[in-house]
Amino acid sequence: MKLLSKRSSRTKLILLIVAILVSIPMIFPLYWIIVNSLKSDAEIFSRVPTFLPSAPAWENYSKQFASPNMISAIRSSFVVSICSMIISLLLSVPAAYGLARFRMKWKKPFIMTFLVTQMLPTSLMLTPLFLIFNKLHLLNNYLSAILSTATISIPFIVLILRPIFASIPRELEEAAAIDGCSGFTAFIRIILPIAKNGTVTSMCFAFVYAWNDLIYSITFNTKDNLRPLTTMVYNFLNLYGTHWNMIMAYGVIMVLPVLIMFIFLQRYIVEGLVAGSVKG
Amino acid sequence: MKSAGRKIKKQRRPKKRRRFSEGYFYTVPAVLYMLALIGFPAIYNWKISFENMTIKTYNAGTTKFVGLKNYIDLFHDSAFWNAFWNTFEYTIICLVIQFSIGLLLAILFSKKFPMAGKLRGLLVVSWLIPATVTALMFKFMLSSDGIVNFLLIKAGIVDSGIGWLIDPKYAMKGLILANSWVGIPFNMLLLSTGLSNIPEDIYESAQIDGANPIQRFFFITIPLIKSSILAVLVLGFVYTFKVFDLVYTMTNGGPVNSTEVLSTYAYYNSFKLYEFGKGAAVANVLFVILFLVGLIYLRLIGKEE
Repeated sequence: MKLLSKRSSRTKLILLIVAILVSIPMIFPLYWIIVNSLKSDAEIFSRVPTFLPSAPAWENYSKQFASPNMISAIRSSFVVSICSMIISLLLSVPAAYGLARFRMKWKKPFIMTFLVTQMLPTSLMLTPLFLIFNKLHLLNNYLSAILSTATISIPFIVLILRPIFASIPRELEEAAAIDGCSGFTAFIRIILPIAKNGTVTSMCFAFVYAWNDLIYSITFNTKDNLRPLTTMVYNFLNLYGTHWNMIMAYGVIMVLPVLIMFIFLQRYIVEGLVAGSVKG
Repeated sequence: MKSAGRKIKKQRRPKKRRRFSEGYFYTVPAVLYMLALIGFPAIYNWKISFENMTIKTYNAGTTKFVGLKNYIDLFHDSAFWNAFWNTFEYTIICLVIQFSIGLLLAILFSKKFPMAGKLRGLLVVSWLIPATVTALMFKFMLSSDGIVNFLLIKAGIVDSGIGWLIDPKYAMKGLILANSWVGIPFNMLLLSTGLSNIPEDIYESAQIDGANPIQRFFFITIPLIKSSILAVLVLGFVYTFKVFDLVYTMTNGGPVNSTEVLSTYAYYNSFKLYEFGKGAAVANVLFVILFLVGLIYLRLIGKEE
């Protein structure tokens, strides 16, 4: 018995070591971008790469804010992501609830709509949306990017939230109805707080999907002062040339909000990803 | 008896009807939004693809229906075929790499050892990172003096650095490497859920019957996670095939069109040459291929449910 447990703890240790070894190349790029964003010019141009900056060059970050368009790019990124998130949540959360709770003749076609629109490539939408936004005078306007990026997160959120809402016992709304609560009030006051984890995760996804968008903003907004961080990438690449430390610092600024979210909500995000991509 | 049954029915009916309409109140706005901003443009794109629309004809109002001309032009366009085959090459190699390594990692992380869940969750972070940042990261690591070349030379695998993203022979490999970084954890995660549904005692009884690990893998694991495997392959195909951000930022289709894919070629036609008709036609080719693959996927999950 003792021998067995000793052996199994040894296998566990070996498995842990193997797992750490295979995780290194997967985590390394992230480590590398952060480390190199803090290297001085002399260090980044040295022939032998160093694995830790000798003295962190924080000025790589402060200098970013002096470069033209940086402030407006950050502002654009936040304006587009936050507005897109609000629109997406206002539409997708009730939609998921409706599909989870109510009998509808059109339920199947509705679910299909979300499944199909989630799979359609964004590059398919570019030409027609460009022409439509042009007609509506929405080109070079935040609204074009906001409205289009919301379409990326809406189907995803509907699909991950529907099973979560469905798992909440119906008796809660029935009790609320007896207390004189309308269906909608019960949804806002009772169901949403119970599905808090799912709703918060959805919020993150809605924000991240808009934040990460490149293709819509680059097509619909051609004015530099309206362009978010992702679409300014070539401007900054040209600006910094081979100063990879500056480029990596720019990358870290772009990835920071996403990383912060991931650290706090890792478990829910991982669960959400699985639910949203496999189940229907 | 009969009348009692009718009475119950009568009582139930209005309740049902109220619920019926309430559901639409919650769901229809989102459906309409998606139809307006995705459904309608997708159909409009077909109309554009049958027209000679360029920025000139659009502004002058002389856009005409030209039937299949744009598609026939594509058929004779070597740049289109280059993008077409590049997209398949990219997708298939990515799928093989991310699926095989993803499956191995999923099996590894399905074993019980400390921190298994934590480490696995950590790997998924690459899925959330903007593709633009992934592209910058790999652009730097694959640059001529980058860490990848440094390690390859140090290990004695190559004598001089490889021009990963500047040599037409290697650019596609560089892209595939960057995409695998995102694709492997994605495959691992989806396959893990399949693996976690396999009951432990099946393995135990197989072991008693004398099945060796390789036999257990091919005759128990693989058949039991078949539906996860199919789903992950189809989803992986869809997500990989429509790649845009990564290619646009890393190589922008170059060098010498060696990494041009369908989505970047559609973008190039519509927004660099302003030939909307041709751009729309390229995008539709992408759409038709994904639609066929998507049909298989919907079939699969339909069967499961």
